[in-house]
Amino acid sequence: MAVPDIYAAGIASGWKVVDASTLTAPQTLEADVAIIGSGAGGGVAAEILSLAGLKVLLLEEGPLKTSDSFKDMDESRAYSELYQEAAARATSDGAIAVLQGRAVGGTTTVNWTSSFRTPAQTLGHWATQHDVAGHGVNDMAPWFEKMEQRLNIAPWAQAPNANNSVLKRGCDALGWESHVIPRNVKDCWDLGYCGFGCPVNAKLSMLVSTIPVALEHGATLVHRLRVRQLQHAGGRISGAIGDALSGDGRTPSGVTVTIKAKHYVAAGGAINTPALLLRSQLPDPHQRLGKRTLIHPVVISLALMPERIDGFYGTPQSIASDHFQWKDGVTGPMGYKLEVPPLFPGISAGVVNSFGEQLRKDMAALATTNAVLALLRDGFVPQSEGGGVRLAADGSPILDYELTDYVWDGARRAYLSMAEAQFAAGAKQVRPAHLDAPYYTSWNEARRAIAELPMKKFRAALFTAHLMGGCGMSENPGRGVVDSRGRHHQIGNLSVIDGSVFPTGIGANPQLSIYALSAQNASALAKELGT
Amino acid sequence: MKTESISVPHDQDQGLSRRDFLKVGAVFSAAAACAGMLGVLSGCGEAAKAPAKGFGFLRQGDLDLFSALAPAVVLDLAQLPTGERGARLGDVLHKLDATCSALDSSKQQELRKLLDLLAVAPLRYLLAGVGAWSEAGTDTLHAFLARWRSSRFATLNAGGNVLVKLISTSYYVLPATWPASGYPGPPARLYQAINS
Repeated sequence: MAVPDIYAAGIASGWKVVDASTLTAPQTLEADVAIIGSGAGGGVAAEILSLAGLKVLLLEEGPLKTSDSFKDMDESRAYSELYQEAAARATSDGAIAVLQGRAVGGTTTVNWTSSFRTPAQTLGHWATQHDVAGHGVNDMAPWFEKMEQRLNIAPWAQAPNANNSVLKRGCDALGWESHVIPRNVKDCWDLGYCGFGCPVNAKLSMLVSTIPVALEHGATLVHRLRVRQLQHAGGRISGAIGDALSGDGRTPSGVTVTIKAKHYVAAGGAINTPALLLRSQLPDPHQRLGKRTLIHPVVISLALMPERIDGFYGTPQSIASDHFQWKDGVTGPMGYKLEVPPLFPGISAGVVNSFGEQLRKDMAALATTNAVLALLRDGFVPQSEGGGVRLAADGSPILDYELTDYVWDGARRAYLSMAEAQFAAGAKQVRPAHLDAPYYTSWNEARRAIAELPMKKFRAALFTAHLMGGCGMSENPGRGVVDSRGRHHQIGNLSVIDGSVFPTGIGANPQLSIYALSAQNASALAKELGT
Repeated sequence: MKTESISVPHDQDQGLSRRDFLKVGAVFSAAAACAGMLGVLSGCGEAAKAPAKGFGFLRQGDLDLFSALAPAVVLDLAQLPTGERGARLGDVLHKLDATCSALDSSKQQELRKLLDLLAVAPLRYLLAGVGAWSEAGTDTLHAFLARWRSSRFATLNAGGNVLVKLISTSYYVLPATWPASGYPGPPARLYQAINS
């Protein structure tokens, strides 16, 4: 075996890992801290709290899948095993596709490794507009450094792949800012399969970094366990109830797990954490719970290039441009970050969204197709309040997200920027991923046509891979679910440590923002619980 | 998918409207109710509501729909030799079924409404211009998809998109289809190193 499986060895050495689908009788589990969710927030919290000597219980709805099961490097297997709703999750109306992880390690197991510090403008906006304290640029700097060291985060030192090179070339030709993306990898093979689970454990996701350390220090990991409810009385959580899932990873087996802890950390991410708190009917006197869900709405532009792109191979994201991010200020017309997505056949078929002869042509051209994406920075002005999470009859989360004229204006400008960059990089033809857009053969043609595109849901293909907000932090209990340290405003022994505390979108891929903020708040929590 | 009630001028949504205007939302609700009733009347109530044998979500009526629509969405599928075509179609249907089975309840319900609507012949003819799935030609199916996707009704756009994407993604993730997308598969040398 060329790549040793960390978990096979760890479990053999005595790590406490429980697959809840194997449980046949009700259980009660006790701990100092129960962490619900094992992604960027829960993984960091588990390591810090375990190292502080606390007895940690880490609970995860998704399965434990490790490098051994990633070795097939197969797109279809990854979607069905590692993503929420088999990668077919979407907003309530089906208009925005949601790519979100669902496994031990959460989305960090399947993300594309881009690791940016929270922009100073965003942190400043939180302090002045959302009554956030203790997370200014200077407060955060040591935490960014700590997590960058912990996860070996550094700008990608190898050459960008052809897909990323198109963006770089376009930006250079137009005099636009671009930069090399920092990544959380060590001894990376430059394969390009980050989204399917790293087969060589080079990506320092929570799966292979913090969670193993927590397990080394006595934490217990229970996976395939869906925490249904937090029980509360007198302003405190008294216990949690979880449903063990059966082997299919979705259907409850009927076995109930009761959790008793001194402190509870909700870390399920911006869809599942608000849903858990809603199911638990926690006090929400100012109706902030599940509000302001920010998603960095994504639009995409496709380009037919004269050269081979092979967008399925090589580090998926290594070049980004912030040229349009802050150019009109923090609260001007919507800013956006330009990047590229990897282009595997399945995801690409969904992006081109064509049928018949056109689909055949689109797919036959995949190896010479470049795609650029724009992450729209949402949540910074009153015309962009984000969406919200509510519950279906069975308690599962439903995400609503409407696009205002303000957001559509950003999306149209993003289509223009992407097409301009692609033509400047030598594209023969460019087409926005939009039902009404054919391939354009020149920037002039594209500019005129994009100006007239109807900007509507289902016509514009929309995506998100960044789920934030819904349990926003603020020192003002009227404006947030939790305070700046993630402590619930109404419940004494409950913290939220994940991306759902963000008051706005980040303006960059959020994983390092979640890592650093979680490290800071989990360290404060460890101190508090230790005394 | 949301319901809407906007008037449709006769000339813009031809195959859809039989009158000068049509309340799409109302039609969808009424149609859904009829779909349930017709099922009872035609004596295929409960059996037709169970997933088809070997499937978790798709019912026999859905299999009829996707079996007809898949070769229209993916022309390569239609052009395979008969034996291979059946096996490939089976792979697509199972992949598609696995995706539908993984959806949250609210999404499954929305999809169910759409599929039920298209399972009832008179409604299918009214809304999609398609008679029996098994007899519908590629041109008819393309016209149906094109009409729904170019409609000014978001509900029909959503329906047209979801049918196309379920089929196209389920098809192109299959390793047997990689030659058609120019994807050589995982890089052979590294794949071997990892799997040695």
